[in-house]
Amino acid sequence: MAGSPMLEALVSLPLDLLRGLVRFVRRLSANKPGFVGFLGLLLYFFVTFIMPNFVEFDNEPKLDQITGPIGSRIQLAVHRDNPQWDSLEALAGKTVGVVDQTGGPSFIEPWRDTLTVETYRWTSRRQGPGIHAALTDLANKEIDGLLIFSKTVNQAIVKQEDAELRQLFQDNIIISNPALGYPHLLGTDTQGRDIASHMVHGGQILILTALIGGVIATLIALFFGSLSALAGGLLDKFFTALANLFLAIPQFILLVVLAGMIRFDSTLYLGVIIGLLIWPALLRAIRAQVLSLRERDFVEAARSLGLSMNHIIFREILPNMSSYVLINLIFSITIAMYFQIGLVVLGLAPISDYTWGVMIYFGRSRGTLYNQDGATMALAPVLAIALFQVCLVLFARAVEEVFDPRLRSAG
Amino acid sequence: MIKRFLLVSALLCALGMLAFAPVQAEGETLSVAWPYQVPPTGHFNTFASGGITLGQYMDLHEPPLAVLMWATGEYAGMVAEEFGWDDDGNYVIKVAEGYSWSDGSHITADDVMATFNIFRLRGDAVWANMTGIEKVDDYTVKFHMSAPSSLAERIILTTNLRPASVFGDIADRAAMMSPDDDGWNDLLQELTEFRPESPVSGGPYTILPDTITEASLMLELNPGGFAGDIQNYDMVQMWNGETEVVTPLVANAELHYITHGIPPTTEEDFANRGIDIVRSGMNNGPGLYVNHDVYPLNMVEVRQAIAYAIDRIQNGFVSLGESGVAVEYMTGMSDGLSEAWLSDDTLDMLNTYDHDLMKAEELLMSAGFSRDDMGNWMDDNGDALAFELTFPQEYADWSAAAENATAQLNDFGFDITARGVQFQQHPQDIYSSNFEMAIRNWGLGDPIPGRSYLQAYNRYNGQGEVAGEGAGAGMNFDNNVSYSGGMINVFDVSNASSQGTDAMEQASLVSQLAISYNELLPAIPLWERYTNNALNRNFIMVPDSSDSVFANFGGGADNWMTYLILTGVTAPADM
Amino acid sequence: MAHHQQQSRAHLTLSDRLYDIASNVYNNYTARVFLIAIITIWAVMTFTFALVRLMPGNPLDVLIEQILTAEGVSYQEAYDRVAASFNIDSDATTLDQYFQWLGDLLRLDLGTSITSPGTKVIDEIARFLPWTVFAVGTGLLISFVLGIFAGMPMAYYRGSKLDHILSFFSSFSTGVPNYIWGLLIIIVPGIAWRWFDIGALRGTYDAGLTPGLNAEFILSALEHAALPVFTYVIAILGTWMLSMKSSTTGVLNEDYVNVAEARGLKERTVISSYVGRNAALPLFTQLTISIGFVLSSGVVVEEIFVYWGIGHHLFQSITVRDYTSLQGVVLLLTAAIVFSNLFADLTYGLLDPRVRVSGEK
Repeated sequence: MAGSPMLEALVSLPLDLLRGLVRFVRRLSANKPGFVGFLGLLLYFFVTFIMPNFVEFDNEPKLDQITGPIGSRIQLAVHRDNPQWDSLEALAGKTVGVVDQTGGPSFIEPWRDTLTVETYRWTSRRQGPGIHAALTDLANKEIDGLLIFSKTVNQAIVKQEDAELRQLFQDNIIISNPALGYPHLLGTDTQGRDIASHMVHGGQILILTALIGGVIATLIALFFGSLSALAGGLLDKFFTALANLFLAIPQFILLVVLAGMIRFDSTLYLGVIIGLLIWPALLRAIRAQVLSLRERDFVEAARSLGLSMNHIIFREILPNMSSYVLINLIFSITIAMYFQIGLVVLGLAPISDYTWGVMIYFGRSRGTLYNQDGATMALAPVLAIALFQVCLVLFARAVEEVFDPRLRSAG
Repeated sequence: MIKRFLLVSALLCALGMLAFAPVQAEGETLSVAWPYQVPPTGHFNTFASGGITLGQYMDLHEPPLAVLMWATGEYAGMVAEEFGWDDDGNYVIKVAEGYSWSDGSHITADDVMATFNIFRLRGDAVWANMTGIEKVDDYTVKFHMSAPSSLAERIILTTNLRPASVFGDIADRAAMMSPDDDGWNDLLQELTEFRPESPVSGGPYTILPDTITEASLMLELNPGGFAGDIQNYDMVQMWNGETEVVTPLVANAELHYITHGIPPTTEEDFANRGIDIVRSGMNNGPGLYVNHDVYPLNMVEVRQAIAYAIDRIQNGFVSLGESGVAVEYMTGMSDGLSEAWLSDDTLDMLNTYDHDLMKAEELLMSAGFSRDDMGNWMDDNGDALAFELTFPQEYADWSAAAENATAQLNDFGFDITARGVQFQQHPQDIYSSNFEMAIRNWGLGDPIPGRSYLQAYNRYNGQGEVAGEGAGAGMNFDNNVSYSGGMINVFDVSNASSQGTDAMEQASLVSQLAISYNELLPAIPLWERYTNNALNRNFIMVPDSSDSVFANFGGGADNWMTYLILTGVTAPADM
Repeated sequence: MAHHQQQSRAHLTLSDRLYDIASNVYNNYTARVFLIAIITIWAVMTFTFALVRLMPGNPLDVLIEQILTAEGVSYQEAYDRVAASFNIDSDATTLDQYFQWLGDLLRLDLGTSITSPGTKVIDEIARFLPWTVFAVGTGLLISFVLGIFAGMPMAYYRGSKLDHILSFFSSFSTGVPNYIWGLLIIIVPGIAWRWFDIGALRGTYDAGLTPGLNAEFILSALEHAALPVFTYVIAILGTWMLSMKSSTTGVLNEDYVNVAEARGLKERTVISSYVGRNAALPLFTQLTISIGFVLSSGVVVEEIFVYWGIGHHLFQSITVRDYTSLQGVVLLLTAAIVFSNLFADLTYGLLDPRVRVSGEK
């Protein structure tokens, strides 16, 4: 049994693959930026495909954490006389206040058995009694501690417009533990939810869809673009006209109409429709490349040697424009990512998939860009997409060099 | 190549320097904003679509007859000096003497005649109860009414006056014709294609056509016009654009007052810059509409349970910050209107549907529903409570409300999928009953209470009849309802409540509407939208926010800012 | 292809004659591509004509909704007011409208706007088009030239620090969409640093100036275009750099470059006449193609900087469902796309004599 070729293949195939991979990585590491790009892509894969299993999507609106700045967190406020109460353990048996509908109630949940929880009703951020009532009670030692969000501390105590309250708070209240809760690495969104958790969960579908869309667009463009340039004649006319047709029809209008008729809830469909919509410009570009390559000396030479069309395409033309195709594939992937935002806007893609695209769209339409604290909601995903493209570009050139020895010597 | 590069850099630097050059406006300028279209699309025929009408700021150019003070319910005369019902049930107004249009002609009864004759040509609603219009003397006009009503009074008095010197010709010809005449449609077409060469103002400011760019336009003081003698500004600069476009100008202090709805995040930034946010109730806001043809949303228990299950305070706050104020009385009107029109006894009787998951649970149990092993609700047929909730994607506050309501209902055991729909598609979907749950507006920015019900009982319920296309039945709610007070047709009652001039009679009809709505919840109001006007008091001096004038939020008419300008109160802050 | 020539020419009927004319046209390369161009435009326009009418809501609905939202009147009031202020011939079927429109088009009449009755569509286009052509054209040219000159050294000095920095810059800057760049330019230097008065830079030129060849107007126009142009450049420059780099990489591998180098030609000559020229050729086609559809790609940038051009006008027409204005703009854009492609094909042979686009068998 041990000698069975089937089994041998089964064992050796993964081994071979692994060996190939190791060789590939070793070659990659010779090219520093390329290696950085490779590591970057690995990081993207890890964050968007692995981490969602460990990080929970924060879906709980927290009214006092709306557009919290980067690194903001829940703090523990106590009376000035009791600075030693700097943790919930230290407050065992005491009364701790939380305000309804903020991050406090869920944070204090595990400690409910060891201490008394006083819940204040949420009313309003600036002037309402909710947080102010809690702070006043703390200043008057009615309660022993208060869980309060760092941004709220700033607003309710430091920036307090009511002079009398400001005096009372500043005289009596101190923050005994400024780092009680976990920090919101990227701040919080317009509903007080953790942006970092949305970043982790929002990449997977977006990236998959964009890869599908970008690859489909590139394949269509590559195939029909080369075909049309090489075959010429009627075929060329037909594909150029078709590409023009697609380019000229205002896609926004087309999508508005489509949105009224169909819905794309599957990642695959979404990717396919995007691919089908963004190929025409690429086709024209590739056709131009092939037209130019077609007439160059080495192709002429191959032709005069009577080599087959297959040989000319796959051995002469494709390798010589692989760099160009690769970079356009990357552009297509990025275009596909932003294209999805357009589809979200029109309701063609569901918002229940809270992707980076949805974040950018809502971040912009809810005015977060104009607020220093909240700008991460839109800028974090934009940055993520831009850096993804950087990684792809760096990686792509390393791949080029791995497969094209001439480049390595040139570098 | 380096030389060329240097040249290009030098050019770019020069451009940069130009950009720094500060722009000095001469005299005192009031800086406000409203979106408009530039010529040739935009034009000065304020009767035709595409005209540069500038929203509520039209009052500065074409002054209103009167302004309703919302806090007291009294009209303050503007161009109309005296007005009221005569003994025969006709409405009479007298125009103030001594004012003139910017082209030199005097403001007289002729202008009123011209304005209303063109309304007749256009088929405006004001003529629904009007049988004729009569010039009594040079300054007095009598409106012959078939039935006096507070609604008709309101429509007449909120009219912006147009100059007879511009529109008189078409108006006179229209007055001599009837809609059945051959030339009627041609005249209508002539009106819509009519392009006055320059704007003519009867108010305190005149548009300067040469200053119109897509960025802004200037209005110059018109000293002879209405209220032109009491102005504190020489110019008004009207910036063009929607929220995203005007926001940087406010932050930059180039623009000092906007009425645009701004997102709470932006609002916070403005507040940090010392810009005041002025909030006035708008008598409307988003509500959760259900399709009454979809089982079990047609069950009143289910709708009540939904009302209990959604925390409206949270929903309002995450959607529009402090301008998203949870609805308390759930009467289909704003809380302000409820308090103004309903007796204390009635108010006490109303169910306020405070956030209460237990009550919601009981209601669903009582309807024979149960939870499955996962805690999700199933109706009495064993089907999950799975619905699609649509909302207009482009409306930042409504989309947030939808997102939040969905999350809350799903926490409670519903299975709701939220879906954004392009904002122009969305109302069409509702009209044609192509929805299960949807976020649309309840209420109306109007002080007449019965009109608040037009949304639920007319616009979103069988508006196909209005459009004359049989477009669909909308939310499929049967307007013949039976409630604790008996059986009524809610649409008829809401119409009747804005007829007549007897406030007692109106109040009794309104309370029928309020109670039946509160019991049946045809649609579930979420929160009332308050304005969040950004007002930079470092530049503009107006009364303190506690002043009763701020009750006039102004949705096209009765705006507090234009009222304060027309009464000469608004002034530069450094004066 | 040539089978018709074998027909006997003795009995020429009318249809034969027409066929002859048609085949002559077809066989004339230039006439043929023009014919195809016209047919493409017609196809797009016909499709668009149907498409715009399939969009949810018609001009009436849109205005009704606007009045309902802005003024808070009843549906009935809004409907009555709107119905009267448009004069759409509701009796005419869509097909009638189509032929009417096509007939007008043949007489070069684009009709009048629906939502601003009486305003000629051609006047609107004349008002908005020049600014887009100016700003987008300038942005495209600057970025193309910069991209070509920056992309070549990236390929030459592959693996150098310069290459790394430029690669990072170009791939990052194109990864951020132009409207985010635009907003950031307003927010950071504009609001936070107060480098310029945002409002004063809006519009296409200062009010009160007379458009024409006078210094004041030209300076004003340049000043107002600066921010949008800068945004276009920063958003597309990277694309040209990376494309040029890839294209150059391809050319550098070719034998004739090595031959030229071996022949001892000056490096400068090799760079400019061999490599640069051959690498830039396909990009030139890409540039020509871009001209067509870039016209409509700056919609949001035009909105953000309030630099209203044809993109804004297209968007506005879509928003209010102004079918005739919309068709006018789409016709223009289609013609731009089709003819710029045509131009690319026709000039390509001139720029690169080896490519004989017109010489297919």
